[in-house]
Amino acid sequence: MSIVRNIAAISKGMSITFKEMFQPTEVENYPDGPGPTRGAVLQDRFRGAHVLQRDENGLEKCVACFLCAAACPSNCIYIEAAENTAENRISSSERYAKVYNIDYNRCIFCGYCVEACPTDAITHGHGFELASLNATNLVMRKEDMLVPAVGMPGELAAHSDSVK
Amino acid sequence: MADVTFTVDGKKLTAPAGTLLIDACKAVGIEIPAFCYYPGLSLQAACRMCVVRIEKMPKLQTACTTTVAEGMVVQTETDEIKQARKATIELLLGNHPLDCPVCDAGGECELQDMTFKYGAAESKYVEIKQHREEQQWSPVVFFDRPRCILCYRCVRVCGEGMDVWALGIQNRGVSAVIAPNGQDHLECEECGMCIDICPVGALTSGTYRYKTRPWEMTHVATICTHCGDGCKTTLGTRRSNDGMEIVRGDNRDKSGINGDFLCIKGRYAFDFANRTERLTKPLVRQADGQFKEASWSEAIDFAAKRLREIRESKGGQAIGVIGSNRTTNEENYLLQKFARTVLGTNNIDHHRTVDYVSFAAALAGKSERTASLRDTANAPAILLLGNDPTEQHPALAWNLRSNVRLNRARIYIANHAEIKLRRQAKQFLEIPKDGYASLVQYLAGNDSVVAANEQTAAFRDAIRKEESLLIIFGSEFRGRDIQALVEFGLSLPNTKFVLLGDYANSRGAADMGLLPDTLPGYVPVASAAHFADEYGAVLPQNAGLDLLQMFDAAQSGNLAALYVVGSNPVTRYGVDPAVLKNTFVIVQDMFLTETAQLADVVFPAANLYEKAGTVTNTYGDIQLVKKAADKAGVRSDFELIVRLADRMGADLKKLVPFGRGVRADMGQTRGAQSGEADRHSVWLAAHGLEPKLSPFDPFATLDEIQRLVPSYSFSRLELLAGSDQHAKSELVQISAAPARRDLVLPSQDTLFTSGTLGRYSDKLKEVLDSHTTPKPVEAAAD
Repeated sequence: MSIVRNIAAISKGMSITFKEMFQPTEVENYPDGPGPTRGAVLQDRFRGAHVLQRDENGLEKCVACFLCAAACPSNCIYIEAAENTAENRISSSERYAKVYNIDYNRCIFCGYCVEACPTDAITHGHGFELASLNATNLVMRKEDMLVPAVGMPGELAAHSDSVK
Repeated sequence: MADVTFTVDGKKLTAPAGTLLIDACKAVGIEIPAFCYYPGLSLQAACRMCVVRIEKMPKLQTACTTTVAEGMVVQTETDEIKQARKATIELLLGNHPLDCPVCDAGGECELQDMTFKYGAAESKYVEIKQHREEQQWSPVVFFDRPRCILCYRCVRVCGEGMDVWALGIQNRGVSAVIAPNGQDHLECEECGMCIDICPVGALTSGTYRYKTRPWEMTHVATICTHCGDGCKTTLGTRRSNDGMEIVRGDNRDKSGINGDFLCIKGRYAFDFANRTERLTKPLVRQADGQFKEASWSEAIDFAAKRLREIRESKGGQAIGVIGSNRTTNEENYLLQKFARTVLGTNNIDHHRTVDYVSFAAALAGKSERTASLRDTANAPAILLLGNDPTEQHPALAWNLRSNVRLNRARIYIANHAEIKLRRQAKQFLEIPKDGYASLVQYLAGNDSVVAANEQTAAFRDAIRKEESLLIIFGSEFRGRDIQALVEFGLSLPNTKFVLLGDYANSRGAADMGLLPDTLPGYVPVASAAHFADEYGAVLPQNAGLDLLQMFDAAQSGNLAALYVVGSNPVTRYGVDPAVLKNTFVIVQDMFLTETAQLADVVFPAANLYEKAGTVTNTYGDIQLVKKAADKAGVRSDFELIVRLADRMGADLKKLVPFGRGVRADMGQTRGAQSGEADRHSVWLAAHGLEPKLSPFDPFATLDEIQRLVPSYSFSRLELLAGSDQHAKSELVQISAAPARRDLVLPSQDTLFTSGTLGRYSDKLKEVLDSHTTPKPVEAAAD
């Protein structure tokens, strides 16, 4: 009976092969495709380069609690905290991140930092074109990761750290 | 008291009757949580966290107020108790903001820990939290009212512990709030004990707030560089652009000789290390009289060449050396060895704040006669003559206050001023400023020397009745007066002595022979046989010039070179800058002090927080100094002396006995390092010494100190484990104090000053300013 069982198994496998042969092909035409991702199709859950978010008032969500740095298994997040003042308000809480660097030489895109963040300040974007010929370019500063301050009240934009 | 036996969680325990249940449990490792209970302070029973079930008692009982009793059966962790604690935390969190991510206490918060343990993460209370803006109470104390859980620890430590009573409670019940005594600000000693003791983040520190998180720092426990008490301070450091920067000083694990206590200087006055104007490059004076930055090899070559020329043309007696009160024992020892063997001179001195030589001579051969700082916390009777510990020895003052409060110690004080500690004194005697010596004669039985009255008679009678007395005295006693005081003390049974000097290692400087007439261990220079054998050199036999004589010699043109290590004698002794114009001056310091401004070569030096070694506090407790911070461009005084000696052609193997034995420095002296700053290994590699030892190893010098100075024969293991070791004064080989001027110049520091070093601390300056210019009283704190 083993011959019958073997033939059944092979024909089951081959049926999938032949069925797929007649399906239309699906090619991601990256990098020559249309749109901002140039043809790359990314799932929502894809963990790409980090984005630092702002709140509804345009203030930075990050309060420099260091929990992302503590959660990071590859030790790639470097933060320096500073205190907000009435004249120079960067985040909505008492403290903000004066320096926030992620070293993409080391980052393994595990997403622990995003999970750890109590203010939903750090998120994974869909940026994946991170390759560089110079390793020093791979240390991203806060200004590189912060969402642009467009569309927020001019007053706040003037005080923002963002260069964009 | 008699022991009682009781049962906790099924374990049979024994403790003296009268012990609090919470303490008895802690002693055997059963931890009962509590916010308001703090050992040594009065009982509050405010937080209700320590509730336990005691059989035959109708309700849950607070373990912090219940004393153990015979046959008691206690449960500390049942479902019922967990439920009660959870409910307590829920109530505490009712108005506690959920700002843990920004709160300074986050990560070391007792409320956070308890919430995790008992799981009161969700609350059934829907009331809106009351927010209040943060208040600044002083340059170093900030108060965030909503975070406060009203445990009253700060109120009690300020009142009972510090005897300052600057904090209190306003209002009652749910509107109760901690408030400062100066309406909207604190009028206090700025010790920061309230911040330290706060179980949550309600009281935060002005130097540390919002800078970093506890787990982000490297914590290094070392010895405070300021006064002579030698408290342990734990420095939190983090990497910076040029090394490791100190972000916080506190009493993190309370394992030091200071117990619970730390004053403003140990807690906040580390900021001199982070000043931008610190020297990081050697300076050499050019022909035009201006300083120019030079490379290390240029500067050391230049200094060594000039010193060698002067030694060869004019001899060692034309060179003077001034040491420091804040360098380690190893550095002090090495400096005197360098002066006596390489430079060939006994012209070595330091800023003396008390007369340790006479003290050592008076106690020579008498064992168990000096007290540790620890002894001041449990001595039954204390006689305090002179000094003002509240200002100059805050840890001693804390110990004395605690001793009165907890052990009912009897303190007798005689002083020319109404010092604050008189409030704890059993008897206080105000005497004239020059009346200390005659008071001792009077105490010894000579009635004619003072205007005796009932008060003085009662004072004398009380002291003479004491069976175990600790005599603490300050710089008011010198030379023969110390001798007389010690003789009087020894006429009573079981007397111990403490001499109060001013700086972190003043005692070590004297012990290590930074004096013109004594070698390490107070051995007179004339009888230096075993030192000469060990050093393999001919040591100068005659006493050298003391500090003032050096400047006199400089004025008359007889001092060709002066080597100053970590000291500012020009300001301290009011030296006219013109005096040094024909002297070749080398200065090692952190800053361009008044003395450094007159120098020909200035080497940027590391401070006590940036090096390893040992220091001796004024009580004779020897403690380990660990390297915490690091700054690119500076070098330790130890390394500088070694390099200078090397360039002068000295045999380094003789100067630092490295490469012997197995007591290797396996990197302990280097501390946390960043980047290329690992000079230790650079030197090793350059000389093919990698697997052995380096001449920058202070522990090699400690080996030699322990060989040659019998009073320093302590257990190295205990020292490295972080314990304090008491110097053995009975082993000091000195027969009588040499006849000489004592040259004692007390530093006259207060709580907010610390010699030249204190001037470079912004925080001390800010606090000092806030105390000298009182704020106008405005609205109430609330």
